[in-house]
Amino acid sequence: MILEAVLLLGLIGITLAIIFGTDLMVAVVIYCAFSFLTMFLYIVMGAPDVAFTEAVIGVISTVIFIILLRSIDRKIK
Amino acid sequence: MRKLFTVIILIVAISTPFFAFDVLPVIGDPDSAPNSHVSDHYIEHAVEECNSPNMVTAVIVDYRAFDTMFETTVMFLAGVSVVLLLAGRPKRRLISPSAVKKRGRTVRGKAVYETVNKDVMISLIEPLILIYAVYVLFHGEVSLGGGFQAGALIGMTYLLDVMVGKRQRPIFNLSKFRSAALAGVGPFIYALTGLISVFAGGMYLEYNRLPLPVHQAELHSIGITAVEIGVTIGVAGTIITIINALMERISFDDDND
Repeated sequence: MILEAVLLLGLIGITLAIIFGTDLMVAVVIYCAFSFLTMFLYIVMGAPDVAFTEAVIGVISTVIFIILLRSIDRKIK
Repeated sequence: MRKLFTVIILIVAISTPFFAFDVLPVIGDPDSAPNSHVSDHYIEHAVEECNSPNMVTAVIVDYRAFDTMFETTVMFLAGVSVVLLLAGRPKRRLISPSAVKKRGRTVRGKAVYETVNKDVMISLIEPLILIYAVYVLFHGEVSLGGGFQAGALIGMTYLLDVMVGKRQRPIFNLSKFRSAALAGVGPFIYALTGLISVFAGGMYLEYNRLPLPVHQAELHSIGITAVEIGVTIGVAGTIITIINALMERISFDDDND
């Protein structure tokens, strides 16, 4: 119960950091942390299959975002 | 005219689920089918009926196989729409060449493929991930994993390969149209597995009726594995298609520098 609360609070904090950040690269890396915490949340809730999928897809989407950052401006004005 | 057509399709597509809400059971209703007897039936009978110790796999590709088939199709459509959106040379650059120079990208760091040890990546890590993907695919009934995870791992191998090697010569030489076709082969294998049991006199995707000379309990394992292979090919093809389309667009941007 406490573990779930800590993980959920961490997710809220990470989301705020993504929304209010000005550097897209930083946002992508923090998004990776978001998917990592979500993975732990799935394990705590007893769904290891979903956690496995989340781990793999989290890595792929992070790398795709980093590739895409080559084509757009990194800073938000 | 085309815009009007798009708007009509969008309105129909968005409003259909709202009309369907009345048919669905209320969330938390104790008398609804999932809460009264369906879940209990899955929990008590999954192992003996589907011959699959992992109940999640049994539910996804056996009890709800029809559902999963269209999920795989939706993924194929996602890959195709990415290709359609990103195909060809872009008309307008997202960022001007002078802005690229100002960012100092060429000075500040090397390209990704120059910073990774290619030998370790190609000869050690990629084969390990591929072996793990095959293990996850064929062991999915017993332990964690299944078709989706295996396909995502294969797609991840391709992603690492594209990042490490030079973009002109990737190791798997798959064009984006070929990989989109591969993504379509997955749902095709899935649907074909269902059709085989129809021709053998059963219902669609009824693994009991597969015409194979093995014990009755084995048929479910074989059906689940065949369907999972289809899902794997579909997911891997979709991820490879998306990566191919993105990398092609980025290399257009780099050429204009």
